[in-house]
Amino acid sequence: MNSEKAKYLAENMELRSRTDRLWLNNPVIMQGLGLAPLVVAATTGRNALILALAVALLLTPTRLAGSLLGSVLPRRFAIFYYAGVACLLYIPIYYVCLDVFGVAIRQVGIYLPLLVIDQLIIRRYTREKPERPLRALRRGVATTVGYCIVLLLVGFGREFLALGTLLEEPVLSVRLFPLAADPAGGFLLVGAVCAGWRGCIRWYKKHVNMEAKRGV
Amino acid sequence: MSIVIGGLAQFFLYAVAAFAAQNAVFGRSLGITSIVQMVEDPGRDSALFCLLLTLVQLLCAPLCWAANLAMASLSLRTVLRPLAFFVISALVMGLVLVVFRQAVKGPRGEKIARTLGPATFNTCVLGTLLICAVQNFNLAQYLGFALGSGAGYFASVLLVTEGQRKIDRRSVPASFRGMPVMLIYIGILALAVYGFTGHGLAI
Repeated sequence: MNSEKAKYLAENMELRSRTDRLWLNNPVIMQGLGLAPLVVAATTGRNALILALAVALLLTPTRLAGSLLGSVLPRRFAIFYYAGVACLLYIPIYYVCLDVFGVAIRQVGIYLPLLVIDQLIIRRYTREKPERPLRALRRGVATTVGYCIVLLLVGFGREFLALGTLLEEPVLSVRLFPLAADPAGGFLLVGAVCAGWRGCIRWYKKHVNMEAKRGV
Repeated sequence: MSIVIGGLAQFFLYAVAAFAAQNAVFGRSLGITSIVQMVEDPGRDSALFCLLLTLVQLLCAPLCWAANLAMASLSLRTVLRPLAFFVISALVMGLVLVVFRQAVKGPRGEKIARTLGPATFNTCVLGTLLICAVQNFNLAQYLGFALGSGAGYFASVLLVTEGQRKIDRRSVPASFRGMPVMLIYIGILALAVYGFTGHGLAI
């Protein structure tokens, strides 16, 4: 990394730490959003893919609709129109998931309908001002990608550790960490992933600051 | 008489099961995001949040039981359930808000009004009601499970808050401080509950 770039990154680190939904301000790692499906339902790669598809189809449209409705409806009703839109969108999304994954969607149980009320989807209602539609679209897509990255990482990781398979294809003949298939293992694993991710961010920020200082 | 005693027995049995063996947080991770936020923000009144959550959950239970019964013959009931339960939760929230507005005035009333929304539209409330619906509970089971789940959630919040307070921050590596160590601590508690029940829970 050259010193010019390091200086630019260091100067804008605070802004990037707030707006970068993929890495520096990931919705799961830094804000703890959407933990329920991640810990309990994302036990295999397939389950993670089902949840990822549902989140991809639910999050951005809900946020966009919330933003559009927010410009015409009083803000004190925000929670109702955000959650209401998510509940209505869930109906076609359920059939899309059913069409793509078949009866395998039953493996995620209540965690598929539970997405409609998850703070990952409706959290925006807590803000006092509605966001602009374009910004809602951009942030919605970024949050979706950030969440899905962690979801797939955890889902595939848990399947590999608990069963020694990837998408039901045998990879290992031994089970490295059978507990990973249970909620207790899910908590431990997600905690470890969060710690590792946060450690990488700390190292990255320290590295950028050192490079910037070296340039000065 | 035997029907009443049987109903009461089911109520208490399901309340105890939801409180301990099928704990919403340690068994199913319901409402975990709210716990993370409550623990990281000491300014939040977790007792009030849990009280309102339990109240809303308990009031929603009979209505959701009736709605689930009414939708039993519909082929679309699986996809309509979240919408129906959301409408019921919204109505119950409105009712609770009106009652509290009349009973509690001033800053305390404002605080209740602010807390009621997040306490109602929470994965713990909808998750508990969906579990009851999917497992075809009867009314006594619905009520017992809703009460036990709310009480179990409160106990979990107390356990996690106390655990977080007792963790010596200086001895925790920097990357693990905050949410990561909290999740690992909840994982260990969940392991204890798992050891107590001996099997995973139906989701």
